[in-house]
Amino acid sequence: MIIIKTGTYLDLTLLIVLIVAMYYYNKVALAGKLPPLRTIPAIGAITEGVGKSIEENKPVHYAMGASGGQLYTQLLSMTLVALAFLNYISKLCAKYEAKLIVHMPYQAESIPLIEAMVRDGYKSEGKPELFDPGCLRYYGYGALTWTQSVTASYDTEGVGLNLSIGIFYSDCPISLEMAKIKGGLNVGGTGRWIMVYAFAMMCDYVFLGQEIYTAGAMVSENPLMLAGVFVEEVGKYFSYILLALGFIIATMGVSAVNAFFAL
Amino acid sequence: MSLFVRKQLPIIIASILGILMILAYFTTFDIFAQFKGIATSWVVIVSAVTVAMGFVYMTNAQIKMYQMNKTPLQLAYTLTTYVFFGAFMIAGLAYKGDVNSPEYQWWFQNIYGNVSATIYAVMYFTLASSAYRTFVISSIESEALVLGGMIYTLRQIPLFQVYMPWIVPLGEWFLLVPNVGGSRGAVIAAAFAALVVGIRTLWGKEVTLEVSS
Repeated sequence: MIIIKTGTYLDLTLLIVLIVAMYYYNKVALAGKLPPLRTIPAIGAITEGVGKSIEENKPVHYAMGASGGQLYTQLLSMTLVALAFLNYISKLCAKYEAKLIVHMPYQAESIPLIEAMVRDGYKSEGKPELFDPGCLRYYGYGALTWTQSVTASYDTEGVGLNLSIGIFYSDCPISLEMAKIKGGLNVGGTGRWIMVYAFAMMCDYVFLGQEIYTAGAMVSENPLMLAGVFVEEVGKYFSYILLALGFIIATMGVSAVNAFFAL
Repeated sequence: MSLFVRKQLPIIIASILGILMILAYFTTFDIFAQFKGIATSWVVIVSAVTVAMGFVYMTNAQIKMYQMNKTPLQLAYTLTTYVFFGAFMIAGLAYKGDVNSPEYQWWFQNIYGNVSATIYAVMYFTLASSAYRTFVISSIESEALVLGGMIYTLRQIPLFQVYMPWIVPLGEWFLLVPNVGGSRGAVIAAAFAALVVGIRTLWGKEVTLEVSS
């Protein structure tokens, strides 16, 4: 009896490789022996943006995308990264006493997580009294309403820093460009490669694709999160090996290569 | 509420559900496939329940916006939200066929659809203004970007297709070779990062979930 579905053998091998790598790097991380990571300029720009907001007496805006609260799709990982950044920006705003506005996504089921992240940020800086529930803005369903409401907020309240990280579709060009027009410092990124162009064009500092995950781990300053960055590298080497194997076997004209990759 | 119920239990539930989903993907046992079907339908139920919570937060946001800008125009914006909320709700519930009724579909097609299209149209103005800013030649890299972008864009304009026919295959080459080559690498890298976050969540080591619980 076949237990594993045909067509998933390679996927399963990759999963096992990543689990083993995670086990190893978690141990290395807890022992404090992880190699250093290069700095990402956009992380420093977030603090710079908070300072700019205070100088200009304008709020810091945080946006996860109109549909950035997905908790049960393949994009869940980006929601978690966006929440990690939300926690980070809340801490910074609490520390420097800057005004924070969070534009929540239309997936209402993510609201408790978002509120918990912001509350925790203020609490961990020892300033829970500065948390204002009015800073959490929910605009109802759809990218259409989200885009209009966010840009209206930029216009009426001003923008010092606009940090946009998460799941973005065609909602981001309008919001990012409006923040730019209103004089805000745009810092952001998405793991959805198809929308990275908008961030590259409109942001002053951008996280390109995978960088949001790395930056998310860096701002969390948690060793287990940082270990994940090295596990990703193992996955990349695994794909390089597959690529090289496939290239060699295909060049040799072995027809079994198709069957191998269909496993 | 104890620390276990508040912090550990949600993570344990998430891990168990995630492992069951993985088993449904990899194994041939029907029981996991059936579980996946049930869990998927629960997603719809959870989403529907949280609509009420969203309504409360939306009202909070509307009040906040009005308090900051107490003008008749802002009041009109606020009231419009609730007028249309009520109108769509009545159209969705009062007629036979609910959201598939001709009445609801009329509201959806003629109001929501048209406003959506308008917003999408505005997006292209923002793209144009940012493209103007981006396509400033200041380095070798930006020069390459401008050149590639221009050739890629001009290949779709009939005037250039007629008088400069070589631009069409060149633009296609930019689209299919450097663009695909570069983007595949980026997509694979992002996919691995997403996978790692997923495994960490199943492992119960995702710090974000710990903080939020």
